[in-house]
Amino acid sequence: MSTVMRSPAPVRGQESEEPLLDVQDLTLQFHARHGLVRALNGVNLTVRAGERVGIVGESGSGKSVTALSILRLVRAGRIAGEIRFAGENLLTVPEARMRQIRGKEIGYIFQDPLSALNPVRSVGDQISEVLRLRGVRKAEARRRTLDMLQRVGIKDAGRRIDDYPHQFSGGMRQRVMIAMALIGEPRLVLADEPTTALDVRVQAQVLDLLWDLADERDLAVVLITHDLGIVAGFAERVVVMYAGKAMEECSTDELFRASIHPYTLGLLHSLPRVDGEVPEKLMTIGGSPPSPSALPSGCPFHPRCRYALDRCREQVPAFVTPPNGSHPSACHRAEVLAQSPGVLQ
Amino acid sequence: MNGPILEVEHLVKEFPGGRRGEVVRAVDDVSFAVAEGEVLGLVGESGSGKSTTARCVMRLIEPTSGRITFEGNDLMDASRSRLKRLRRGMQMVFQDPYSSLDPRMRIEDVIAEGMVVHGTVRGAEARRARVAELLELVGLRQDHLRRRPSDFSGGERQRIGIARALAVDPRLLVCDEPVASLDVSIQAQILNLFKRLQRDLGLTIIFIAHDLATVRHLCDRVAVMSNGAIHEIGTREQIYSAPTSDYTRSLLAAMPVPDPEVERRKAAARRARLEPAGSAGEAGGGDAPTDGGGPTAADPRPSLPVSASGGAG
Repeated sequence: MSTVMRSPAPVRGQESEEPLLDVQDLTLQFHARHGLVRALNGVNLTVRAGERVGIVGESGSGKSVTALSILRLVRAGRIAGEIRFAGENLLTVPEARMRQIRGKEIGYIFQDPLSALNPVRSVGDQISEVLRLRGVRKAEARRRTLDMLQRVGIKDAGRRIDDYPHQFSGGMRQRVMIAMALIGEPRLVLADEPTTALDVRVQAQVLDLLWDLADERDLAVVLITHDLGIVAGFAERVVVMYAGKAMEECSTDELFRASIHPYTLGLLHSLPRVDGEVPEKLMTIGGSPPSPSALPSGCPFHPRCRYALDRCREQVPAFVTPPNGSHPSACHRAEVLAQSPGVLQ
Repeated sequence: MNGPILEVEHLVKEFPGGRRGEVVRAVDDVSFAVAEGEVLGLVGESGSGKSTTARCVMRLIEPTSGRITFEGNDLMDASRSRLKRLRRGMQMVFQDPYSSLDPRMRIEDVIAEGMVVHGTVRGAEARRARVAELLELVGLRQDHLRRRPSDFSGGERQRIGIARALAVDPRLLVCDEPVASLDVSIQAQILNLFKRLQRDLGLTIIFIAHDLATVRHLCDRVAVMSNGAIHEIGTREQIYSAPTSDYTRSLLAAMPVPDPEVERRKAAARRARLEPAGSAGEAGGGDAPTDGGGPTAADPRPSLPVSASGGAG
């Protein structure tokens, strides 16, 4: 099933090429003390070379687990579906090959650099590890690490290279993380909430940096975030996740102007804003997101959905583009919503 | 406008333990007043002193110097027993609904604790009735009474925290990042609840947040803090439509807006500003880090004014 969307927005002219990353119908379940946890229940994600894609979702929606699954960093559990990266099936390649892919082909930027970095090794040592493991000589690895540190905007990099993580501020640590993810010259970077712990002005700088680096290297970035404002500024295309499932996939412009999913529309209408009129009351989505160990039947969003029908309680909706729509969504009422995209009724 | 319910004058809070043993001034000569029935927002980046200011106002920590007057009573000179009585009028809602509720207590007891401590409602029956009323007020079901905090989601826990604060009929509510740890779809529910409570109960609220959008939604007046000082204070319209300081403008400009067109325009403006500064790709050129401070949150940070021509749009 290939549901690659054709967007009217100015997306790169590469629609015909095979995507760099193609995730189809990914599911992940594991047993915990309190029963079966259904962490992923059908994730679809395609990323082309050089493309910036956002994954938006609330806590527990499975966005981080999706990224970890792509790198096969989730040890426990039953995983199914398909993850193709540059022609290889990542679910079946041997572990030795997977180890090469991590860092070299796919980089990873963690949310919290302080817990992701080793506190007792210098940042230069940690950044150059990828190169050293690949047999690059020490002096050469150090030189390239120094270049990278300068490129991510660490001032006085020659001195800072031997400093330890605790000697850096939050924003600088995140720059170190970015350097570490990019030193192996990957083609894809997975960035999991890379700016959530940062203040807004530092956040803007880090996102600009990531954008510039991606641009100059033709690097594809998957940015995972809960913040629709960040998606608006960074991503060309977006996947909205809920309860471990892709709910909608479209260009960023379509997401904000022509969404056809009740959950996306609900989120957009519930946001307070720094511009425009201040409404007396914000629109809300009632209830709260379900626990992955107690998912509702049918569509996982149906208990909170104003459009829900009996069918929504009984049947899980397929992730398809409705005949009158421009992009795929997982909703039994997609056709009705596609009649007036972007409008919450 | 009503008279002030709270006045803070020349508030200073110093902590020992700077990097070379020097004193860190987390709150540096802060003065403001809150009118009765008003919602005042305190915004700022981490380490700006907004939470420390709130804690000083409640006297949860001892201010180094300054004056705090609540409903005409001097809080700084108040004895312990007098302070306890005054605190009935001012209650706090905390950021983290997971760590601010005792996991061993039933919800009923969490909410009733203040009534017991302050002796405002006597008799178990009367207290139970009042707790039931409060649950309804914050939008929780009566059958939740006997459960414990672990049975509730983040949003529900924050409702419990609000009910607990309201249990002793305070006039002033000090809320420290009350929606920061909630999911987007839950934030709106809690913001609406604050707005309704404020209107129906005539509450005065000090609302502390780093998120400029939530502050704008709720607050009549806004104080922007950085480096322990109030940088700019004004009505919502003044702060968001015509900020006078570069600092406020830079905060507003950096705040991501859920609108791709606006964001593209802002990104283009940021790039245009950077280009002439240094050759592209050169480290440390225009892409200067603003968070040059050390790793401790209380460290005063150099604030870098960014000229935001055109503002946030």
